[in-house]
Amino acid sequence: MDAFLASPVGQVAITVAHSLAILVPLLIAVAYVTWAERKVLAAMQLRKGPNVVGPFGLLQPFADALKAMFKETVIPTGANRVLFMLAPMITVTLALIAWAVIPVADGWAAADINVGVLYLFAISSLGVYGIIIAGWASNSKYAFLGALRSAAQMVSYEVSIGFVIVTVLLWAGSLNLNEIVRAQERVWFFIPLFPMFVVFFISALAETNRAPFDLPEGESELVAGFFVEYSTIGFTLFFLGEYANIVLMSAMTAILFLGGWQPPLHVEPFTWIPGVVWFILKTAFFVFVFIWVRATFPRYRYDQLMRLGWKVFLPLSLFWLVVTAALLKLTGWLPA
Amino acid sequence: MLAAVAFYAFSAVLIASAAMVVVARNPVHSVLFLILAFFNAAGLMLIAGGEFLAMILVIVYVGAVAVLFLFVVMMLDVDFARMREGFQRYAPVGALVGGVLLVELLFVLGSWRFAPEAPGLRLSPNPGATVGNTEALARILYTDNVLLFQAAGVILLVAMIGAIVLTLRERPGTRRQVIAAQVARAPAETVVLRQVPIGAGLKNIGILRPPPAAEEREALSEPERHGHGGGHH
Amino acid sequence: MMNWTLALPEAALACAGLAILGAGVLPRRHDMFFPISMAVIGALVLAGVLVLGQGDGAALAGQYVSDAFARFSKVLVLIGAALALTLALDFNQTDRDLARFEYPVLILFAAIGMMLMVSANDLMTLYLGLELQSLAAYVLAAFNRDSERSAEAGLKYFVLGALASGLLLYGMSLVYGFVGTTSFDRLAEALTAEHAASLGLVTALVFVLAGLAFKISAVPFHMWAPDVYEGAPTPVTAFFASAPKLAAVALLTRVLTQPFGELSAQWGQVLWLVSAGSMILGAFAAIGQRNIKRLMAYSSIGNVGYALIGLVAAASADPAVRSEGVRALLFYMAIYLLMTIGAFAVLAAMRRRGRPVEEIEDLAGLARSDIGMAVWMLVFMFAMAGVPPLAGFWSKLFVFRAAIEGGYVWLAVIGVLTSVVAAYYYVRIVRVMFFDAPGAAGALDARPASLTVVMAATGLFTALFSVAPGPLLAAAQAAVAAIAG
Repeated sequence: MDAFLASPVGQVAITVAHSLAILVPLLIAVAYVTWAERKVLAAMQLRKGPNVVGPFGLLQPFADALKAMFKETVIPTGANRVLFMLAPMITVTLALIAWAVIPVADGWAAADINVGVLYLFAISSLGVYGIIIAGWASNSKYAFLGALRSAAQMVSYEVSIGFVIVTVLLWAGSLNLNEIVRAQERVWFFIPLFPMFVVFFISALAETNRAPFDLPEGESELVAGFFVEYSTIGFTLFFLGEYANIVLMSAMTAILFLGGWQPPLHVEPFTWIPGVVWFILKTAFFVFVFIWVRATFPRYRYDQLMRLGWKVFLPLSLFWLVVTAALLKLTGWLPA
Repeated sequence: MLAAVAFYAFSAVLIASAAMVVVARNPVHSVLFLILAFFNAAGLMLIAGGEFLAMILVIVYVGAVAVLFLFVVMMLDVDFARMREGFQRYAPVGALVGGVLLVELLFVLGSWRFAPEAPGLRLSPNPGATVGNTEALARILYTDNVLLFQAAGVILLVAMIGAIVLTLRERPGTRRQVIAAQVARAPAETVVLRQVPIGAGLKNIGILRPPPAAEEREALSEPERHGHGGGHH
Repeated sequence: MMNWTLALPEAALACAGLAILGAGVLPRRHDMFFPISMAVIGALVLAGVLVLGQGDGAALAGQYVSDAFARFSKVLVLIGAALALTLALDFNQTDRDLARFEYPVLILFAAIGMMLMVSANDLMTLYLGLELQSLAAYVLAAFNRDSERSAEAGLKYFVLGALASGLLLYGMSLVYGFVGTTSFDRLAEALTAEHAASLGLVTALVFVLAGLAFKISAVPFHMWAPDVYEGAPTPVTAFFASAPKLAAVALLTRVLTQPFGELSAQWGQVLWLVSAGSMILGAFAAIGQRNIKRLMAYSSIGNVGYALIGLVAAASADPAVRSEGVRALLFYMAIYLLMTIGAFAVLAAMRRRGRPVEEIEDLAGLARSDIGMAVWMLVFMFAMAGVPPLAGFWSKLFVFRAAIEGGYVWLAVIGVLTSVVAAYYYVRIVRVMFFDAPGAAGALDARPASLTVVMAATGLFTALFSVAPGPLLAAAQAAVAAIAG
């Protein structure tokens, strides 16, 4: 058995097993995030939400998926067929492969690589391609406008996300996500880095094109934005990608600022609960906040969105970076 | 062995997509192939152990630079037929330049000899192997190469100043949103509560919009004048 | 070895640049050009003082070097930058677009780039310094953004400059591939030890030379100069023709004599051709020009050709001739810098009813309307033509003497003949000023005081140089001792 595991075939088999162990629960979670969103929004608007398919409407996501899959696929004439089909695949692939480095519990990551944070940052910066390709390949002005808005928005907010991550790295002293979580054993980073935590979460909203920054899809002006021409499978994949990204961003926020799988206090009742549960609870909390924000805030105007990114978040995160570096250096708290 | 397979896979796709960048008829496809090429280059760097560089390549080139490329190429409506015309005309010159460069590279290869220790050094992204690639880079970047680092920073600053100088125009008469002023406005300044008797017109009880400022009146009345003039034709 | 204090002038200038930039941006006013210009001139002077107090040695991991050669060039670069900015003080205020505070700031950053260029002791420092200077220059060329010609100048300069940078980088990467180092010291050691100039290395050297020849606008990489000089605003042209040219020539000198000193037989031949080509083109192409800025562009191409004679002599096997050549080169560039700025001060003063004019005919009858300016222009034109006893005569004499001593007699002959041809168009300008009747358009506007200062300072230097040539010669001698001794 050991010989098999060491052989190239065995290595591939282990990787596949790891991937499945991450992906299957993730996809189920994504399905229930869509359900949870409808339920939470309904509750906030004093409605009931889905309650017909299965108990509490729990089978609703599967019914929706089946419906979407068995409808007719429409590809507009004049669309670039290859790219049109490729775009949703890119979106969903990127949303899924990012999970390779996420540590769901102490040491539980499919790939525990040295530069985990950079990997996450790189993958999330690629998300724009699915959208921009979809917008262009649809050969439709609404889709293209949505794609352009999205590209500009995501590139803008990535800059401040990058600086926020650097401040976290200064405290953690490592690019490895496991190490970053371990560095939060005593204090979760959202306490010393509270402004950065807020900046990160708001930028995460913008990065996932969620309300109040959902201008790329802005129903009232662009119909549905970049995926206005998509139906059935393509639409489902975009949908899947969007919610997988929400879960990913929530997980990232939990890892970078809320101590990932660390319990709040290292005392008896908390330490009984396994790390993976803490991780899921924290991620679920941020997913809830994502939905909560959607129910609460009206959409930003585009120039206000750009202003917020470049004129508020960027200087603020740069300033906080300098402050953090100086503080750590002067107090000698800089991790070795 | 897996590394070897990955190496050949990345290299083959890299070369093929680099060729497609040049050959592809549609410039958008060219840019997408360029992105694929960047990706595979990052993969090769990972195999060589340069993990930091690989990630930065993806973040900077794929995540930001190529997006802007794609942006521009998609917005410009490139006329392929006209590009081809130029291609025919300039092909001999291009071939000549390419040929000269190729011959020079051959010269270079002909007189090339490796230092004995060079092959060993080539694949050592973290010298001494006590620290990771990221830390190894940081150690020389901020110490030995601090001058170059700072000079590069100043170059970027100049590029930024240049971009602003050449493009930013403050048009006279634009009214900018001052968010602080909006937020600082108190309800008492803007809202008046009146008891309106049933059946009374708003004018009768003296509720009017504030009169427009002088220049706005001008701006408002101009299109009207045009409208009257046009009506007679 | 982090003794960064050796690089104090650059560090101080960079910090001053950041502070001045902040001071220009924060007040949100439109009349910051003049105070910011004054601050930049102050910073340049301060940097000059710091340069004079700089010690000898290499610093920052050997990537930066300070020696008499670097200090000599830096002082001249700073003088050139400060004078070019003084020249812009009045000119730029006539146009709302030109009178923006970024103009002096860009000149300051270009000055930092030039200082890094002349202090470079590593191919990477060289490249970054060059790019810093070039990038600022591209923006300056296009600074008058409402003028199509200015935008064209900026774009042309940028595209061709990027191409030249590409050639330079290609050459540098080949050098690195061959020798395995980018440090000048170690390159020099490696090349001495090997003794063999392999074909590949010569190829690399040619690429480096081509990239640098572009930056000094030497034939055959001169094509951009006339268009850029014509299109850019006059003070910007004055800047291009002065400090960056000197810095690039100094850089070229250091690169060729120090790391590639052993390959002098190879680069000597290339430079011979470049020098002869530049002199011939500069002399003949300028004859038909009507636009005086275009004429000055060809004149500056020719002048670079003369200066390079000194560098050709520096390829000689005889050490005495080598140092003679480098000294002649430095001396030539120093005098050229001041003459050119003086001539451009006159060009910047050419305005009629507030609008800049730049045809040679516009100078007609200047002697009647403004005799002072006409006389200064006469001094500069005669000096450029090489009329004794003006400064330009001595500089030409020194390079020709170095060439003859080095056995490059033909080069000296070409130099003398092209000087005679060039004298024709310099003297034509003088004729137009003194003997032609004023045109129908009327006289030029009165010249502003700031330009008078520049004209008088450079003009007095040019005219009275022969009285006390000692200090400049001594400084050039010391500079030579540092690199070609």
